[in-house]
Amino acid sequence: MHLRIDDIAKSWDGHTVLDAVSFSARENEFVCLLGPSGCGKTTLLRIVAGLTAPDAGRIALAGRDITTLPARERRMGLVFQAYSLFPDMTAAANVGYPMRLRRESPAKIAARCSELLERVGLGGLGSRFPDELSGGQQQRVALARALATEPAMLLLDEPLSALDPAIRGQLRSEIRLLQRALGIPTIMVTHDQEEALAMADTIVCMNHGRIEQIGTPRDLYERPRSRFVAEFVGRANLLPTAFVRDTMPGFLERRPPGGEATYEFCLRPEDVLVQSDAHGEAVVEDFVFLGNLARVTVSWRGRRLLAELRGSSTLARGDAVSVDAMRGAWVCA
Amino acid sequence: MTSARAPALWLLILPALGLALFFLHPLATVLWRSVTDAQGSFTVGNYLRLFDDPGLPRAALRSLAIGIATTACCVPLGLALAMALHRSRLPGKACIRAALLLPMLAPSLVLGLGLVCLLGRNGLIHRLTGATTDIYGFWGLLIANTLYGLPQVVIIVSAALARTPARHYDAAASMGATPWRQFLDVTLPRLRFALLAAAFLVFTETLTDFGSAVVVGGSYRVLAMEIYSEVVGQLDFGMGATLGVVLLAPALLSVWLARIARRRQDSGDAMPGRMLLPAKHAWRDTALGALSLAALLPMVAMVATVAYVSVVKLWPYDRTLTLANYTSGMPDGYGPVATSLGMSFLAACAGSVLVFALAAGLRRAPRGVARPMQFLASLPAAVPGMVLGLGYVLAFDHGVLSGWFYGGLAIVSFCSLYHYHAQAFLAMQTGMRQVPDALDDAVAVSGGGTGHVLRDAVLPFVAPAAISTFFYLFMRSMVTLSGVIFLVTPDLGLASVTVMRLDENGFLAQAAAYAMCVVLAAALALGAMRLILHVLKERRHVA
Repeated sequence: MHLRIDDIAKSWDGHTVLDAVSFSARENEFVCLLGPSGCGKTTLLRIVAGLTAPDAGRIALAGRDITTLPARERRMGLVFQAYSLFPDMTAAANVGYPMRLRRESPAKIAARCSELLERVGLGGLGSRFPDELSGGQQQRVALARALATEPAMLLLDEPLSALDPAIRGQLRSEIRLLQRALGIPTIMVTHDQEEALAMADTIVCMNHGRIEQIGTPRDLYERPRSRFVAEFVGRANLLPTAFVRDTMPGFLERRPPGGEATYEFCLRPEDVLVQSDAHGEAVVEDFVFLGNLARVTVSWRGRRLLAELRGSSTLARGDAVSVDAMRGAWVCA
Repeated sequence: MTSARAPALWLLILPALGLALFFLHPLATVLWRSVTDAQGSFTVGNYLRLFDDPGLPRAALRSLAIGIATTACCVPLGLALAMALHRSRLPGKACIRAALLLPMLAPSLVLGLGLVCLLGRNGLIHRLTGATTDIYGFWGLLIANTLYGLPQVVIIVSAALARTPARHYDAAASMGATPWRQFLDVTLPRLRFALLAAAFLVFTETLTDFGSAVVVGGSYRVLAMEIYSEVVGQLDFGMGATLGVVLLAPALLSVWLARIARRRQDSGDAMPGRMLLPAKHAWRDTALGALSLAALLPMVAMVATVAYVSVVKLWPYDRTLTLANYTSGMPDGYGPVATSLGMSFLAACAGSVLVFALAAGLRRAPRGVARPMQFLASLPAAVPGMVLGLGYVLAFDHGVLSGWFYGGLAIVSFCSLYHYHAQAFLAMQTGMRQVPDALDDAVAVSGGGTGHVLRDAVLPFVAPAAISTFFYLFMRSMVTLSGVIFLVTPDLGLASVTVMRLDENGFLAQAAAYAMCVVLAAALALGAMRLILHVLKERRHVA
């Protein structure tokens, strides 16, 4: 394991921010810390960077305990949400900054700067100042600066959330390509589940200072373990056991043993089959046309279900429909 | 464990020592002297003596009356001027701004001097028209203090006006509010705390002002004058200290109230939005224009009169124009001006370094350190210059430090610096708040320490505030009178004090010449500051 985090805890003014959090990251792995604001993900990243001291727990990097090592000796490349470039320095000077602090030769710095700027697609813009660059370009400079000293890890603190949606998507895939090409282990903090699903090898889903679930994006989406994960990652219909027993008894087989209220059934909208049926028991309550798909709310036996239909659909509000489910997962309520 | 967000508390050592030695120590000495007798034993006798002399309670009541009357005149006028600047379509706003700079460039006694030359018993009006004029006393003080306080009210109210976004007015207008109702329902409620803060400021300044009192007060003696004559006239330091404490009490109270007001002030909208373009409204602009003229014409007239007086042969009898007052006529030559310049430069240099270190050290300081230091750094705003100056005389005239400091340029500089410490510190701290946290972290992960944080993250953002602080301290030190009045010695004359002495002895033309030198130096400093800030803005890339 490249990075090991063991039982990290942190509280501020008696308020617990991190409660015995443990996970690890392999070489080359892209890990996303995903969770709502206030879940402790940024604090965890800052602890890994050495910018915040944990109250308890250990951090080991490549087998070496770095828990008490100051930030400047950790060799971590950090990219912030925004406003982290020195406004008085050119893009090239910003990228060269950590190398200058390490007193490397000017020739070497200049060569590495232009190589890195080239890498992030900013070749030729090295003499621009941050206020002469777009938000996306600024984040590219920040990324190049984080990579300047060949860091042991790359840490990204919501690096895309201050950008326009179009640029966000583009930079998202570029960061991922760069990370794969360099093979650098990376931790990214985000509250955007779509971003985490698209980028991560492994998602660490957090809530209230605890880890809810660790897994691949597919794991988290298809096999969420808790109601929180099911609702936070993607959209979900969460159905009580009694309702499933009445309507879709076939799914009861795979239900883990436990009391009636211990588990709920998570049914993703795209797994809900809605078909026009004059004798159907369900009624369309709302129909939202979204181009490539349609989002349909149906009322069925006293419950509302959200369904997503591919392609064109002729359903309209008030239509009688029949409902069926393809698959789903049982989650802790 | 070290981290970038760990406070650099060592930065606080020097500023804290400075505050202790050059602010708390003299202040404590004043308090101590007011409750001890000549032998050094405890007594409340000084306070009882306050009532023996009927002149003292009378002076206190007069100070209070002047303070209240000045506040009552100054705040509405300041509001009108701020409205003229921000909520009108008046032409010539630049002229209003320029005129408002005058009282900040001139010692408060220059306005008084202008008033006396214009409306005194032997003033220009009397000379030209033969009318009997006698401005000395309550009305003279009221006019001089009102004009002196005006720019500060305008600054505070303008800041609050600028924070009110246009959409509030759009909303009010769309619901059918007339311009007058918009003023009552949108403008005024958001100015409440600004007006309150401005009122407290003007009240305190007037109560503790010495410059106007000594020039236009005449036989209408206020508390500041009483302290001056106790100390300088009768060498009764105990009584001077006691009167100082009496003056300190209301000043402390009003600064404390202003703090509460400021804490409750809403900081405005996070998103300022579209700037307001005032609608056409002839009546409003006429009224505001008339008020602005009424307030600013006298201001310009007074300074112009001083300039005129400085170039006449023998005021007011022989008004032949001459430059003699600037060349051969100056009794002390340019010495006092040079001393003032040196003192101001020293105060500005030491002050900006100390205040920078203080604000930088407090950036990440834990609450237990930050709260008391913040309080201490802002406390000088509540201490009248005369009280601080008296403290310097009492603290540094005797004792171990007297050999080093008293009578030297340094001690006068420090007195001026700590007199204006609070405002300089607040300006610097406001600058510090613009430094993004992420930059500190970026330095830390790049391998830098506190020095790198200060140089690469803090300085680019704080440079404008630091430059403003430097020139603010320089200009204030040039024009200050009340703080340094007790500290000048025959060998160490200051320009502002020389103006006062010459005025006392009736050499008005020479006094005016020295006054104009001070105004000129302050104006040049202001010009230099504007130029540097402009160049900095062009050259640098900080938003």
